[in-house]
Amino acid sequence: MAAIRVGELRSLVRRGGVHRRVYADPDIFALEIERIFARTWLYVAHESQLREPGAFLRSRLAAEEVIVTRASDGAVHVLANRCAHRGARLCAIERGTAERFVCPYHAWSFRLDGTLEAVPHPSSYGKAFDVDDAANHLVRAPRVSGYRGFIFASLAPDGPPLDEHLGPLRAAIDNLIDRAPDGEVEIAGGGFRVAYRGNWKFHQENANDTIHPGIVHESSVEAGRQAALRDDAPDGNQTKLQLQSNGFTRREWDNLGLVGFDSGHAFMGGFYADGLLSPGAGDPVSTAYRECLVAARGEARMAEILGVDTFNNLIFPNISLNAQYQQIRVVHPIAPDRSVVHAQCFRLKGAPDAMFERAVHFLSTLNSPASMIFADDVEIFDRCSAGLADPHGGDWVNLSRGLDSDAARAEGGWASSGASELPMRAQFTAWLAHMTVGSNP
Amino acid sequence: MTDAAALLRAVDAFLYREARLLDAGAFEDWRGLFAEDGVYWIPSEPGQSDPVTTVSILREDKALLAMRVRRLGHPRAFALEPRPRTVHSVTNVEMIDLSDANGLCHVASALTVHEYRAGDRAVRAARCEHRLRPAGDSFRIVLKRVDLIDCDAVHDTVISIPL
Repeated sequence: MAAIRVGELRSLVRRGGVHRRVYADPDIFALEIERIFARTWLYVAHESQLREPGAFLRSRLAAEEVIVTRASDGAVHVLANRCAHRGARLCAIERGTAERFVCPYHAWSFRLDGTLEAVPHPSSYGKAFDVDDAANHLVRAPRVSGYRGFIFASLAPDGPPLDEHLGPLRAAIDNLIDRAPDGEVEIAGGGFRVAYRGNWKFHQENANDTIHPGIVHESSVEAGRQAALRDDAPDGNQTKLQLQSNGFTRREWDNLGLVGFDSGHAFMGGFYADGLLSPGAGDPVSTAYRECLVAARGEARMAEILGVDTFNNLIFPNISLNAQYQQIRVVHPIAPDRSVVHAQCFRLKGAPDAMFERAVHFLSTLNSPASMIFADDVEIFDRCSAGLADPHGGDWVNLSRGLDSDAARAEGGWASSGASELPMRAQFTAWLAHMTVGSNP
Repeated sequence: MTDAAALLRAVDAFLYREARLLDAGAFEDWRGLFAEDGVYWIPSEPGQSDPVTTVSILREDKALLAMRVRRLGHPRAFALEPRPRTVHSVTNVEMIDLSDANGLCHVASALTVHEYRAGDRAVRAARCEHRLRPAGDSFRIVLKRVDLIDCDAVHDTVISIPL
């Protein structure tokens, strides 16, 4: 892998386009795992899932499966889910509480911080064997850090601290938490894990591709538009509004602002103009929610918090966070042409129950395997993957839309109108910066 | 239909017809099998009891199903191009309750759906519960609950054709 030289990597990213190898080449994928996913900060869990000492859950660090634990001293650890003895998967339960992890093969038992507690029949292992030897402990992510309840881990012992990595996208997490009248959110309501045949980057590119919804989702947009608003709809007409909101007009595309950063983060302006979950007047749930927020923060602050109108907030490399609708999606790279999207939602503590029920319904409508929306995205990912795998179908992928209108922002990053592939260009700026560290020229 | 054996035969015929309509792509006719207050539910978790504060793979009443059916017939529903072909097999049909307090009969069944689309093959297995309201010499579906054995797994294929 080290054989891929800097010059070769640079040749894959040019102004307004990338070479198909960035999606289709297994060597590039392996290098992404090594240089992006094994170095940067990756989201692994939310504190609300690990309240008590002994709580644990299985999660992923890209291609790796990990156990995230809260040890008896309150510290959070991110451990390889692999016994240090013979390599067996140690924990087969999704989440729960435990005092220790005992391997089902030869009963090595590990503490919640990953250290080896005991082995049966220790004398048989010989004089040199030492339970306190780090080689006999579970491999532990060297860095674990949190930002306001969001737990991240890095497989690299050194690197920029989490706050610096999150940079301006801290504001997206802040805004999600600010939206909770009690100033706290929790992951709840279950979630979905949906695999697609395609590169992990497709998911991130698609999230802030404001051009595709009116085309890819035409079938569900029309289904939504043609449905009548009902007074007695069990979902409060949320499905209809959510489906039809993907039907952009050309002017709406232009008016959606896009912002991208050289760090690879990006966000887009909001596009549910009114109605669904938005702070529109006349909706009893929104009204009750705004009253809760005013009571907690005052009128001016409420207006400020709900006035943050960003839709998908992308945190490089693999998070898409939506504060307005309390959604988080993480895309896990499994293979060059296989990725898994894990979508979950948050409860805003102190908000009316109906707000959470809407977040749950939003998640079902958008990210279920039976979603009328996501099914068509998955189909497009599959088609891109199939097309880009062909060796002689053309080498370059065009990401030039809006290139001439990218403008530097005074507060940092780049801005463009909605009709732009700016977020993808930002992604590849960061991609190249990460990928070239450690190669020969 | 006071005779239990005759009722079971009628239920069998109804479930087979439902399966045939789905396999034939007659989705509007399939939707017509639902009562006006009927609900189609695919939970996301084994034994899920709460459809409101836990996500569902699908939970739609008859009117919401109209949107789904409309999309299924749309010429640019790309996930349906080419259209999946399915065989819905209904087996192990049992009458759990001939007539509950609301006059509904409760039916348990096993469902296997084979799907083929564009070179990909999928098999889905589920336990089904139908709550049926007698209507003339047939029934209307008040609740169809489909508990996929892998409802909480990583889903490798999308579910475009109703189960």
